[in-house]
Amino acid sequence: MNILIPVLIVAGIGILAGLGLSAASVIMAVPVDETAEKLAEVLPGANCGACGFSGCSGYAAALSKGEAKVGLCPVGGKAVADECAAILGVDAGDMTPKAAIVRCLGTCDNTSVKMDYIGVDSCAAAAQLYGGMNSCRFGCIGLGDCARECEYHAIELCNELAIVDRNLCVGCGKCAKVCPKQLIEITDRKSAAVVMCSNKDKGAITRKVCKVGCIGCMKCQKNCPSGAITVENFVAHVDRSLCTNCGLCIENCPTHAIQEIL
Amino acid sequence: MAKKTISMRSASQENSAAVIEETEEAMEEKQAVEQTEDAVISEAATEQPSAPEKKSSVGGTFGNAMKRGVILENPVLRLVLGTCPTLATTTAASNAIGMGIAATLVLICSNTVISLLRNIIPDKVRIPAYITIIASFVSIVQMLVKAFAPALDESLGIYLPLIVVNCIILGRAEMYASKHAPALSALDGLAMGVGFTTALLCMGTIREMLGAGSLFGAKLPILSGQPILFFSLAPGGFFVFGMLIAAANKLSKKNNLPVRNGCGDCPAAATCSLSGKGGCK
Amino acid sequence: MNMLRMVVTIILAGILTNNYVLSKFLGICPFLGVSKKLDTAMGMSAAVIFVMVLSTAVTYPIQRFVLEALGLEYLQTIVFILIIAALVQLVEIVLKKYIPALHASLGVYLPLITTNCAVLGCAILVTEDYSSAVYGFGEGYLYALSCAFGSGLGFLVAMAIFAGVRKRMEFCDIPETLKGLPITLVAASLVAMSFLGFAGVVHM
Repeated sequence: MNILIPVLIVAGIGILAGLGLSAASVIMAVPVDETAEKLAEVLPGANCGACGFSGCSGYAAALSKGEAKVGLCPVGGKAVADECAAILGVDAGDMTPKAAIVRCLGTCDNTSVKMDYIGVDSCAAAAQLYGGMNSCRFGCIGLGDCARECEYHAIELCNELAIVDRNLCVGCGKCAKVCPKQLIEITDRKSAAVVMCSNKDKGAITRKVCKVGCIGCMKCQKNCPSGAITVENFVAHVDRSLCTNCGLCIENCPTHAIQEIL
Repeated sequence: MAKKTISMRSASQENSAAVIEETEEAMEEKQAVEQTEDAVISEAATEQPSAPEKKSSVGGTFGNAMKRGVILENPVLRLVLGTCPTLATTTAASNAIGMGIAATLVLICSNTVISLLRNIIPDKVRIPAYITIIASFVSIVQMLVKAFAPALDESLGIYLPLIVVNCIILGRAEMYASKHAPALSALDGLAMGVGFTTALLCMGTIREMLGAGSLFGAKLPILSGQPILFFSLAPGGFFVFGMLIAAANKLSKKNNLPVRNGCGDCPAAATCSLSGKGGCK
Repeated sequence: MNMLRMVVTIILAGILTNNYVLSKFLGICPFLGVSKKLDTAMGMSAAVIFVMVLSTAVTYPIQRFVLEALGLEYLQTIVFILIIAALVQLVEIVLKKYIPALHASLGVYLPLITTNCAVLGCAILVTEDYSSAVYGFGEGYLYALSCAFGSGLGFLVAMAIFAGVRKRMEFCDIPETLKGLPITLVAASLVAMSFLGFAGVVHM
């Protein structure tokens, strides 16, 4: 008989707790947006913020309320956009895969340093000290803030230059936000002509600090049949919508600052 | 930070561009081959579970499970679960072993029972159900220890009932016992428990030898003359634990960083002095 | 007045000399896991204080009026953990319904705290240290609640200090073997060592 009381007590507590919780979950139920939940399951769950919303659940909520377009997730790409479109019953539209590229070719061989930097091992910190230790004040500092930020391990530091592995990159854009020199651009995965330099100094100065920098000679602009290249501030810019992938600018660039990224 | 000086190179960049194109094509071919190889390997891997188990693998399973629990996936040193009892009960080696054995007992029993009941427990209430089962076994072990080893009960204090919330037990129940047969779950419980006890024993031995100059209560010749109290106290626990994990990391030497596939697709390859030599610093 | 002095002493002891994380090794997992950023550390600590006080408030009377009254002290472990798990689940449901903002910031830590040594440890320790047999139910209850509050505050102080230390360590040059958890533990040992200096400050 003695054993009955403790068994009853524990069973009683368990039953009370179970009943109480079920009652609470019914009485205090929060209306849940079913569509948003289904969408959140389909989204990659990386919470990178590239869509412009606060994480995947934020984007799912906005989608289900109709406040956002379908193809905004670069991590999920076309597949996820199609699934979202299927859930919402709308047309998915076109989505090109994107990837990041560091617009700088400033390896140790191409550039020089103007000071010995001893300090916090971070690009943001080095950039505050006279713009960094490189002679080129626009170039890649190479201490790896972008590599640390990347959740997909797509960025590597080689020869003091950050290089993005375009096969691993999903185009979330986190690295671009972290780079203190704003060198990282998110382009379409197969980009024809990318200007691998951001140096806005005059050609002579650029030439002194870097062997492969853009000197603003305008040869690319003169040779471009579709007028996609403009040279502003002694550095070339390519308008993606006008570029026809002819490759003439790449051939004509004397410093090989424009490259084709496959 | 090494200072590199600009070296004047001859204008052979056009040649190197052509070389780059060739190597790029070679890389693409190689990647295509690798992809088909990967596909073949992954097919083979998915075929393996359907192959019938060989009779001689019973000993192999035991050995594998023990190796996994003690070395490869040691719950304390590699998975970093169950840190509270590790730090608190290892002031003396005998406490450490006592704690380890108690936890192992609970682990084996709870894994077996949860595995037996895995098809009956509904999914929504599985965590409370697991906790109830584990709590029952912990109460049993508590009473056993109080009856047969009261000194151990005194020294373990509150950490004996706290085995209930030990991440290792709940974690293994969730990850292994709920998906495998009772015999395998019991084996896994034994392996993880032995791993836990081993890690605890290592820490307990070090802390007792350095902190009290004794081992299992027996005074050691040189160390007992100059015990370092630091190691018996709280800070020493953190310190020794950190050093043990460092040692475990060094011994396992896992390198998670991606290895670059050569310099073929690197945009800076044309002008890089390290290209073709495996690149990166 | 004696009771007030006792309550203040208990709270101070919970923060300085009997710090749950740095002296008693309870709640190490969240301590090592969540202390990387100050705001997550504060969120976790706030949730821990809340759950600790609430569970002590419920388990202490149950220990006195159910378990001790019927001579069932051996059921303490099972009953306490059941109550704590149910309580945390209830708190989560209530928060989600009535204070969604709080749920959004703290809610993610609540399931983590259910199986946390600190909460169960506190519930069990107060029944031993401030048992109603020694102090009488009313006084014992007051001391138990203040102990829970003080221990939660101690957890918060330890987390805040440690988050600061870890932030400073982020850009240090650390040898490869020690990177990650080992150096964090060494830092924790130094913080614990500093707290050893409080020994004897609070007389119970």
